[in-house]
Amino acid sequence: MKNFFRKVAFGIGPNEDVPSDPLKWALDQLDEVPNLSWKGKIYSEKELRKHYRDYVYGDRKVLRKKYKDNKTLYKTHKNILRHKTGQKFWESLEISIRHNEGINSKNPVLAKLWMFWGNFFAISHKDYLANYSTGPYQREIIRPNLNQSFEKMVYDVTTSWAMIHHLDNSESAGPKSVTASEEWRRRKKEPATINENHARELLELHTVSPKAGYTQEDVIQLAYIMTGWQQRWSKKHLETGNVWFNSEYHQLGKKNVLGKEYKKGKKGLANVIRDLVNHPNCRDFVAERLCRYLITDEPTKEMKQPIIDAFKKSDGYLPEIHKAALKVTFEFNKKYKKFQTPENWFIQVAKIGDLQWPPSKEIMNAYELGFKPTRKQRFPEKILRRLGHHPYRAKQPNGWSDHSEDWISPELLIRRLFFADRSYSFIKPENDNKEFIEKIVNNNFDKPDLILDYMFKNMVHRKSERNVLLFNHPEFLKA
Amino acid sequence: MKINRRDFLKTTALTSLYFAGFGSPTFATDGPKKNLVVIMLRGGMDGLCAIPVKGDKNFEKLRSKINLDKTLKLTSDFDLHPALKTFKRLWDQNLGAAVHATNIPYTGRSHFDGQNLMESGGKIPYQVKTGWLGRGMKTAGLTGEGLALALPMPLLIRGVSMNNNYFPVGDKLPSKTTLELIQQAYKDHDEKLLGETLKIVMTRDLKNSGSDENWSLASNAGEQLSKPNGPRVAVFEVDGFDTHAAQGATNGAHADCLSDYDRIISGLKQAMTSEAFDNTLIVTLTEFGRTIKQNSSNGTEHGYGSAIFLAGGLVKKAQVHTDWPGLKKKELFEGRDLNSTIDARSVYASAMSTVFDVDFKLLQKEVFWGEGLQNLSDKLFKA
Repeated sequence: MKNFFRKVAFGIGPNEDVPSDPLKWALDQLDEVPNLSWKGKIYSEKELRKHYRDYVYGDRKVLRKKYKDNKTLYKTHKNILRHKTGQKFWESLEISIRHNEGINSKNPVLAKLWMFWGNFFAISHKDYLANYSTGPYQREIIRPNLNQSFEKMVYDVTTSWAMIHHLDNSESAGPKSVTASEEWRRRKKEPATINENHARELLELHTVSPKAGYTQEDVIQLAYIMTGWQQRWSKKHLETGNVWFNSEYHQLGKKNVLGKEYKKGKKGLANVIRDLVNHPNCRDFVAERLCRYLITDEPTKEMKQPIIDAFKKSDGYLPEIHKAALKVTFEFNKKYKKFQTPENWFIQVAKIGDLQWPPSKEIMNAYELGFKPTRKQRFPEKILRRLGHHPYRAKQPNGWSDHSEDWISPELLIRRLFFADRSYSFIKPENDNKEFIEKIVNNNFDKPDLILDYMFKNMVHRKSERNVLLFNHPEFLKA
Repeated sequence: MKINRRDFLKTTALTSLYFAGFGSPTFATDGPKKNLVVIMLRGGMDGLCAIPVKGDKNFEKLRSKINLDKTLKLTSDFDLHPALKTFKRLWDQNLGAAVHATNIPYTGRSHFDGQNLMESGGKIPYQVKTGWLGRGMKTAGLTGEGLALALPMPLLIRGVSMNNNYFPVGDKLPSKTTLELIQQAYKDHDEKLLGETLKIVMTRDLKNSGSDENWSLASNAGEQLSKPNGPRVAVFEVDGFDTHAAQGATNGAHADCLSDYDRIISGLKQAMTSEAFDNTLIVTLTEFGRTIKQNSSNGTEHGYGSAIFLAGGLVKKAQVHTDWPGLKKKELFEGRDLNSTIDARSVYASAMSTVFDVDFKLLQKEVFWGEGLQNLSDKLFKA
């Protein structure tokens, strides 16, 4: 039963009491979205986007021209610019904030769901999004919506700067729009055409999924509705301007998506999202993904139905959807054990092992713009990258897999062996004793004696190898 | 020259033609060890950018912003992207070929469904839990002879046990005693896949150091494939072919991805013994091609037909094997994409038949559920 605390969160820390009513403990964490528990500096998405702007502008408009004939100087100054804009630091800070929610907040269940939705609406590795924008996108767009409706979440995600940039919607121009007949397009031979990327992923990944049976024409029609939603481009800000609806790029006339008609204009997007989130396939898709994340690779109808019902009854109110998902998870807890993804596993190691993780606010606050971050300040980004599961650097817009087999290979197993070993160097001195291990094993395993026997009955070469044994035990790898 | 399907069938020069029909079954031999390398090109490789058709004014007009300003010559009808220098060198030695206007039988234009199907070889996304290569290896009895040059184990190679992967992290393993205790725990908990995976970790002959860049992975893979008792199958991945914006032409995003592919074959060629390379076949795989027409972002959208690169000593001859469908609007798939006239799975089944020395019909039955594929072994590969 104690695996439930890892299944829906990250386990029980050594200084926490094991909740007597696990389901109530979990359900009580979902109604409010409290302030982040990170006590260090937090920067707004706009501030960080300004750094993004300074980097791309400085590189594209200044350095490339200034050093066009000197590759060495260009590289040197580009590196200086990287540090001036914090390019090597922000994502580690964001990961620290993220992990702190899982480890030190009072709402670790909410944190685990935050991570789920961040991956559901993934911003994959593209341009400099991971360096400056994906962390704040997940903080400012995904997280505040955890107690709002799914419809609002989808709308906010779709019109966010990061997602518009990620899926190229700024590039989409209606062939029957005001801009289509502009003289420069004829002169430069650049006819107005749509970019289907964002529309396709809005259907496939963010709402109804391909099971809804939409056609290529539906994708095109949705792309028409979305034309005009773009970054406000300017010579000064380039592509980093705020998202706005540019009616001159908007495809004129009515559109038809999945059999429903939409009038031209800005409101078209909100209207089509309302219909998409109320499509039965969307409810099924969300239920499927939640069950797969929390319970098993192969969710059953029996698991999904209560979540689908809660979605329908609450009009997509996320706390109700989450509660239904947690109840189902609790119900099936004994029967199904879910192999934990590397990042989930890593946060569990940190929390249960009471590691000095994430880096302290003092370490992160000490960062100074213009300087190279220290090794410790870059640990979060480096460790997750080496684990093969960096939350802001998924390879494709469908995010990281929730399927167990995708996380089992010799190399992936090697990484868990290495980092479990390395976790010993993050142990607090006062915890380096057997009593501490007994406590954390008691807190987190139903049969602690078996685990302790496995850890202590044999000699190990180095003390760190006890961590390797604990954190690679099959009952720890799964929850 | 502007070619249509009919003309092309009549006049092709170096390009061989595609005819229906089955070749002779092949059988296991005691010859030298043969290797199959599959390079997955994720994101939808633009076959028309990699191997553009010559002299089609309409095509050039539709791609005015992303046309190649220089190309390498392949045949009287097709050119080659200039980033593919190693491939061209191999072509010139009859060690490189291509199949054009081909794809898996999937027209949905979703990357993720498409990639699942290109790896599983099935027709319904996410239904089949093993890969066509894994099933082929199983049919050929090649247990423990697969090496993935990737961090996860690709679906493509699943379906046969004891596959290895290599993507070095550069650290030391815990002691053997500790690993044995973990292994025992896996056994006690009946964790077969974890147990099998750990066994590979404990027994494999691979260093944990080195770079995880594709050229370096290729170099290591080349050494492994050259060993008489080394793996017989290797799988690589190249990401980034999804160029909706700023696709580039001679240089740019798509060119960078093609270069990445080229560096893999270069790394393999350099690291392999000449005997091993002579007995190796390197094939590519992608989920779909891209639209004929550029979009307003100077990119291309998801399409259908693409191309397959073939390289290595087991390639029959330098040729662009195709049943060219033409690029007129009415000849395109849904009026926008290069059509696919060859089921890519025929190429892969034939490749496995050649390399694994297994009867094509057996692979057709065991790997592709008896679907109507053509045996192209005689046309594309050396027996």
